[in-house]
Order: sequence, then structure tokens, then C-alpha cells
Amino acid sequence: MSAPGQIEPTELIARARAGDTAAWGDLYKEYAPAIFRFCRRAMPTREDAEDATMEVFMKLRNKLSQYDQSRSFTAWLYKVAANHCWDMLRRRKIRQDREIGEIEDMPLEAPEPNQLEKLIEERSSEEVRKALEKLGVRARMALVMRYYSDMSYDEIADALGVRRAFVGVVLLRARHELRQALGDTPVLAVGGTR
Amino acid sequence: MSEQELATNKHLNEITLLMYVERQLDRASAQEVSLHTQTCTRCMNLLRALDRESRLLTRAMLEQDEPLPARLANFQIMVRRSMNWVWGVIFGLAVMGVYALYTGYIEPMEHQFEQAGFGGANLLSLLLFQGAFWKGWQSMFTLFQAIALAVLLGLVVFAFRKYIKRGSALAMMFASLGLIGAFSSPVSATEFRKGDTVEVKKSETVEGDIFMSGQNLRVAGTVDGDVYAFGQQVDVSGHILGDLICFAQSARVSGQVDGNIRSFTNNITVSGEVERNVTAFGEVLNLDSNGKIGRSMTVFGQSIAVDGKVGHDFLGFFAQATISGMIGGSLVGKGESLSITGSAEIDGKTSFEGDKQPNVSSDAKLASPLEYKKMEHKSAERGLRYHIWSIIWGAAYILFGLVLFGVMPKFANEVVDAAENIGASFGLGVLVLPGVFIAAFISCILIVGMFVGISALLLWGIAMLSSEIVVGVLIGRWIMGRTGDFWPMIGRMAVGIILLTVVTHIPWIGPWARLAVFLWGMGAIALGLYRRLQPVLAPNIPSMPMGPMGTPLPPTTTVGAAS
Repeated sequence: MSAPGQIEPTELIARARAGDTAAWGDLYKEYAPAIFRFCRRAMPTREDAEDATMEVFMKLRNKLSQYDQSRSFTAWLYKVAANHCWDMLRRRKIRQDREIGEIEDMPLEAPEPNQLEKLIEERSSEEVRKALEKLGVRARMALVMRYYSDMSYDEIADALGVRRAFVGVVLLRARHELRQALGDTPVLAVGGTR
Repeated sequence: MSEQELATNKHLNEITLLMYVERQLDRASAQEVSLHTQTCTRCMNLLRALDRESRLLTRAMLEQDEPLPARLANFQIMVRRSMNWVWGVIFGLAVMGVYALYTGYIEPMEHQFEQAGFGGANLLSLLLFQGAFWKGWQSMFTLFQAIALAVLLGLVVFAFRKYIKRGSALAMMFASLGLIGAFSSPVSATEFRKGDTVEVKKSETVEGDIFMSGQNLRVAGTVDGDVYAFGQQVDVSGHILGDLICFAQSARVSGQVDGNIRSFTNNITVSGEVERNVTAFGEVLNLDSNGKIGRSMTVFGQSIAVDGKVGHDFLGFFAQATISGMIGGSLVGKGESLSITGSAEIDGKTSFEGDKQPNVSSDAKLASPLEYKKMEHKSAERGLRYHIWSIIWGAAYILFGLVLFGVMPKFANEVVDAAENIGASFGLGVLVLPGVFIAAFISCILIVGMFVGISALLLWGIAMLSSEIVVGVLIGRWIMGRTGDFWPMIGRMAVGIILLTVVTHIPWIGPWARLAVFLWGMGAIALGLYRRLQPVLAPNIPSMPMGPMGTPLPPTTTVGAAS
């Protein structure tokens, strides 16, 4: 995948768009690892992630002609992947009822800063990834979209089908779920709110 | 967040701080948060903790903790695998079609023929349904049953693959195979013998099938099963209760074979007795005067001599053939020359298509006068009219292609793109071309009904016609370059079709080239359809990028206000 700040392989993309199968193969090799990681974080199982990656690229092949080359290909690709993963999850109806509840009604207690610092200090990346797997699909999806693919609030709102104003709440709730999954929620939820 | 809220000594709530970290606050609110956190240690600490949490999340997400699975490592393999289910379905359809065709029509017809005393040695049944070179049609039928079961099993596993882990799917498959094996009828033991000289001695009896390989292979004793012989010299003087399947330079059968002989030999002589059929491919094929074949004889060879007795029909493709013996059924021959000597007796119809008028002795006993047809060498007779029609057909193809590209340009282009994937297109074509036809045929007479069947046959025919156009466009595009405009595309198509027309009219190569074009084009159409029928993306799929975003690392790592 193109590293941050690097120029995207525009020539490769143009050739792939024109139907050059070799260019398409190169494009796949370039972007498949990143899209697989994205899907791995977003989907419940490794097999699902593999299937999703393949399907994303199959769709991408058909949709490539719609891509506007004046924009970022990476962003567009993540957007397609996010939509696809969320669509798969939604179709499977594995979201739990609590996740489609009223976002406005969710009371959230702020964590105690020192406890939160301690938790972050003690937890490794691997533990975070394992904790992510325990989250509800929308919470996980929101975190992946924001912190893996750096999607904007507008894009996340669009993908998840919520109002933009609620994206922050969705992310905050996801963080709370994550902290809970990481293990110390009762201690953390002692801070005051206004 | 209101000013009044900030003016109090209460702490900021977490969502406000998160929005600040995420740079989602407007400038004024961000400045207020900034001011507050300068004086409120707790809020500053929480802000920092949230920021660190963002960093931890990003790091955890972006870390390359596992390599790309082998399944995804190669795009070509991925495409091939994603096509597996299409292949499976088509192959399954074809197998089930053949199965239904056999059980519904061929088998009852065979029974009727047998009851009526016919040998069933017509060309179709000989080549298609009795030509299985392992063990006759019954074995082929069993094989098809096994394949159909395996395909169905594969489809079931595929259908439930989302719900079962791969390991358990595999276990289930093996368990099912085990069950099938457990319920299968027991198979007699098979013996393998190998060496320079391999022999079943005169006093010996082999129970079950035997595989023999070596220089000299002899069966002098008794084999209560089939004999599979792979060697230089094969000599059968004993008794085979099953079939003889023989790959050899030279073979001689002077003993008795209760089943069939299927031979691929340079030369074979049968001087013994074969109770059922003989199918032989080779250069020299002799049925000795003592030789006797209970049913039919089918031969493909250069020099054929029939001095013995054939119970039913004789079918031969040869350079020269001499018939001196007795044929209980009809004789159908095609080749250069045929001689029927005075000692010959043919009880059925005699027909020959060849270069020379057959030489028939006046003493020969023929049930009906010989029908002779001079073999037409079409390539030599191609005159002006033929070439004019070729040009007309070429023009018709171009016109048809023009209509296709005019009516559905997008799909037509997608199909041509699919044709560039030669391997997948060709492979799919091999399955689709016969598979769809058989399925449609079965639908016509068996399952779905006449309307569906005829519609499918019609579409199949249109696809056959279109396949040449697809390949023509692709070839034109390769020669003249890619274009998105309509008329240049038609120009490329015309060039491609003209080239194809020329190639497909070359003697010997032409028919094969045409077949390849059909397979390739048909496969490309199937591939294009497959891609088109892929499930659509969520309704909010972007038709264009939503905004510049080339940096996977989020800008949330710095505490600051949005501008």
C-alpha cells in the first residue's frame, strides 16, 4: 500500500482502468494487504475477511471506471471496502439489538484520566486487537473506519447510516466498549460528567 | 458546548474532549476547550489520555500482525477460485444432464433394443455410450454417478461455507466420502504385476481385476475380472471373464474374452472368441478366420482384415479394409478402399463412403446391395460460390456485432475485457458450451418445460454467434489498439472478424480454430455475465472519491483546534 505522503501509482491505476490485466494484478498486489488488514479488523473471522477482500477487489474491478482520478485512490478504495464490509455485516443481521438502539439515550460516564492513562500504558497493540474482536460490529466498524482508514466523520456517517452529529457518540461509545473489553471499566467509569 | 458551560468550574465532558482531539469542533468551541484545559488539570489529563488512546488504536490497527493469506496472495488464483462455484454449478448441471439423459432415455432405449435383438451398434451408442474404454457403459454410468455425488457434495459444502469453519467443512466432506464408501458395494481385489515378462500361468486363476505392465505380457490362465495390459507384446491365450483393456505395440488374442476388448495397439489380431464388443484403435487390425466377436466391432485403423465372424454390426474408419468373414449385422465403412471377397457374408445393410468404388466379389453374400458414396473432399471443391457465401457470412457477423455493440455497448465491452482473460474464458467455455446445451435440452424434455428449454437453446445459439464477434473485437483491438469510441470499435471488430474468417477457412486447422473461437468467446460471455451478476455494493457506494485522503495515519495525534 502506498505509504503516507507517497504518490499513488496513478499510471498503474490508469492502465488497470483501461483493462490492462497485468496492471490490475500489480494494483491488487499493492493494495490487497492493506485491504485485507482493514477487513480483518472489521469482520468477525479471518475467513470472512478473506472473502470480503476478494469480493471488494472483484467489485472494484467493475467499479474502477467510476473512479475519479483527480481524487485519492486510497481513500476511495477504503470507502468501497468499508461499505462492502458493513453491507455484509448488515445483511447477515448479526448486529445486536443494543446497537440499533437510540444513540441519544446512551449514558456515558467519563473515565478517570489517570486510570485511563494506566490502562493505555499497560495494554499492548495485540491486546487491543483482541479486545476489538469482542466489540459489537458497529462499534468495531466505526473504530476501524476512523483509526485504520482515517475516514472523515461525513464518510463514517454515510457508511453507517447515522447522522454526522452522532458519529462522535458512536466513536465514544465504541471506545467505552473497548475499555470494557480491555478489562477495567468499573474503575474507569468513576469520573464526573456535566 | 455553551459559553455558560465553559464559564463554570465543572469539567468538560468526554465527548467534547474527544471531538476536540478529533478536530471536529468549530474554531470558537475549540478555543474555549483550549482555554479551559490550560487551567483544568483533570480535563487536560483526560484530553491527553484520549489522545494517547487514539494513538494506541491507530497503532494497533495499522500494525502488520499477519501476512496476506496464501489464498489472497495471487490475484489470478483469487479470480480462479472465485469462479469455482460457477464451474461447479455448470459442471454439476452438465453431469446431471447426462445422468438424466441416460436414465430417462438411453437406458430404456437400450433395453428395448436388446429385447428386440439388436446389437445396439449404431454410431451414437457405439461411440458415446458403449465407447467407454474402461469397462463399457455400465462403468461409465457408475463413474458419472460418483462424479455427480461428488459435485453435489462440493456444492453443499460451498453453500454452507460461511457457516462452518474450513476445517470442519473438510472434515464433513471426508466423513461424507467415508459414508459413501461404507455404503458402496464391495469391490473385488485388484492385482498388480510388473516386470519384463509378466504371465498369468495356464494353471493359474486370478480372482478380480489385474493390471499388468512390462515387455511381454501373457495371459494363459484364467482371470475372473478385467485385464489392464500395458506392454510391448500382449498375448491372451487363456480365459478373461471380464474386459481386456490393452495398450501395446502388438496384441494377439487367441483365447476367450467374455467381456469387451478395448485396444490401443499398433497391431492386434483376434483369433479367439470375444463374447461382447471390440473397439480397436491401431494401424493393423485383424480378425482371424478362427476369430469370433459376439457383438459389434468398431475399428479405427489403417489396414483392417475381417476373416472371422462378427455377431452384429461392423463400423470402421480405415485406409484399406478387406472383409472375408461373416458380419451378422450391418457394415458401415468410411475410408479409401474396401474389398469384399467371395467368402464374405453380410446379413445387414452394407454401406461405404470412400475414394474408390469398393471391390465386391460376385460370390459374396450380401443381404442388400452395397450402397456406395463417393467421399467428398470439401476443401478441393470450394468454388467461387463458397467464397461468396463466406464473405456474406462475414458481413452478416459484422452487422450482428454492430447491432450488439449498439444495443448494449457496456456489456459488450465488458465481455471483450473478459475475453482478455484467456485462460478463464477458455476454461469456462469448455464447460458452458456443452453444459448449457445439455441443460437446455434436458429442460426441454424433462424438468422445467419447453419454454425455458427453447429460450435457453435460443440464447445458447445467440451466444455461439456472438462468440466470434467477441473474439474478433479482441483480436482487432490487439492489432489496432484499444478505443472507447463506437465506430473505431466496429472497425476493429471488422478487422478481427475478417482475420478469423480467413483462419477458420484454412483446411485442417480451420475447424479447430473455429471450435477454439467458440469456446473462448462463449467462456468470455459467461465470464462477463458472471461479473455482471455479482451482488451490488451497498447503496451508498461512492461513485467518486469523497475527498483527498492519502495518509493512513490520522491527524488526531496532535491536540489542537480545527481551523
